[in-house]
Amino acid sequence: MRDLFAFFRKFRVFLFFVALQVFALSTYFTYLSFPRSQYLTSASEINGKILKVSYEVTKHFNLSQNNTLLQQENIALRKQLPQSFMALQSGNVLINDTLHKQRYEYIPATVIKSTFNHRNNYFTLNIGSVEGVERDMGVFTDNGIVGIIHNVSAHFSVVKSVLTEAINIDVMVESTGAFGMLKWDGKDARIGSITGISNDIKVKKWSKVVTRGGSGIFPRGLPVGKISNLKPVEGKPLWDISLLYSEDYRKIQRVYVAKNIMKDEQLKLESLIPIDKE
Amino acid sequence: MRDYFIHTLRFVLFLFTQALIFNHLEIGLGIHIMIYPLFILLLPYNLNIFASMIISFALGFGIDTISDTYGLHASAATLIAFLRPTIFKFFEPRDGYDENQEMNIYEMDSRWLLSVFGLMLLVHHLWFFSLELFKFNEIGYILKKTFLSVPMSLIVCILIQIIFIKNPKDARSK
Repeated sequence: MRDLFAFFRKFRVFLFFVALQVFALSTYFTYLSFPRSQYLTSASEINGKILKVSYEVTKHFNLSQNNTLLQQENIALRKQLPQSFMALQSGNVLINDTLHKQRYEYIPATVIKSTFNHRNNYFTLNIGSVEGVERDMGVFTDNGIVGIIHNVSAHFSVVKSVLTEAINIDVMVESTGAFGMLKWDGKDARIGSITGISNDIKVKKWSKVVTRGGSGIFPRGLPVGKISNLKPVEGKPLWDISLLYSEDYRKIQRVYVAKNIMKDEQLKLESLIPIDKE
Repeated sequence: MRDYFIHTLRFVLFLFTQALIFNHLEIGLGIHIMIYPLFILLLPYNLNIFASMIISFALGFGIDTISDTYGLHASAATLIAFLRPTIFKFFEPRDGYDENQEMNIYEMDSRWLLSVFGLMLLVHHLWFFSLELFKFNEIGYILKKTFLSVPMSLIVCILIQIIFIKNPKDARSK
């Protein structure tokens, strides 16, 4: 017993150091897979307010560029207005038909914090559960997808961006429909990769990649990027595809959160599939 | 009393400059400037190691909570606070340290500062990037990030000392 106490006394500095390290590293590695609490992240009230003040200072840095983007989006929307159409047949009426039913709702948001040079980059949004944001909703901009909501507080939320190691969004090549998983290697914020496309499928360089919408997080057909490079994986019948993102995540500000109204229905149906027993 | 005030103020300033400015300053080539090791270097020489580890941990964790790194900065800051007395002892000048001196650029000679602070930064950055990437086959990229970031951090930290710390020799001559 006395030896034990003597041991603790002798190594008390080192033991204290190890205790602090275990605490810090366990928080780090568990957060990557699942957020335990929102209080010690940028979704907490205090940090959210600090980041908001910081955003107030820096928000005008890309103002002219953002204005141009908004203008372009406005033009695209204006084209769909009834005023921009010429009536070909007089007496046409707009009928609210039952062929289409609303499936996704969109909530506008502003990114108040973003990074792109870490291994795993998280963005903070200025909206939270009060505005109807929930975990696992998709986030995107006009140019491309951004990520998936990872953690929500009352007024802020944290997005696990596509610049994260285990993002695994299902995407497909628009022309052929071949699908795979989106990954990021942690080096260049402009380039991602796709795994899981079999190399007997012909894939052309510079063909467009869009979301597949399989898991109900994103609508089908949102732009992701273009294939910039492809080569076969050694020893496996797969393509190793590099993808040039269509959105520049280094200066991202305005985003939309996609809310899938029919998600529960889809998940309920999919949970009926029996699990494979091997 | 005055020392407590100065170090508390520095704690807050280093926390916010690192979390709100330097963590967003993305130069490219994987360079990530980290200045808060300077705060740990400038803590009083005779401070208890438990106290310095707790303060460093709190500083790192504060930065983590703002920039969503969840314990990375805390872990790296605690590591250099733990190694600080050992490094100081290893590079001890012939006539020892003065009880009340601060380890800044004016009190210590430049060779001492470069070797001690350079070593602290190297250990800190290597630990930080290894944990951040955490893959054995990315070791080349970890080393590249470390050896590009350390000189940048060192230069910025030296500039901070030149700009913000008063030179005691100037004050005496006036």
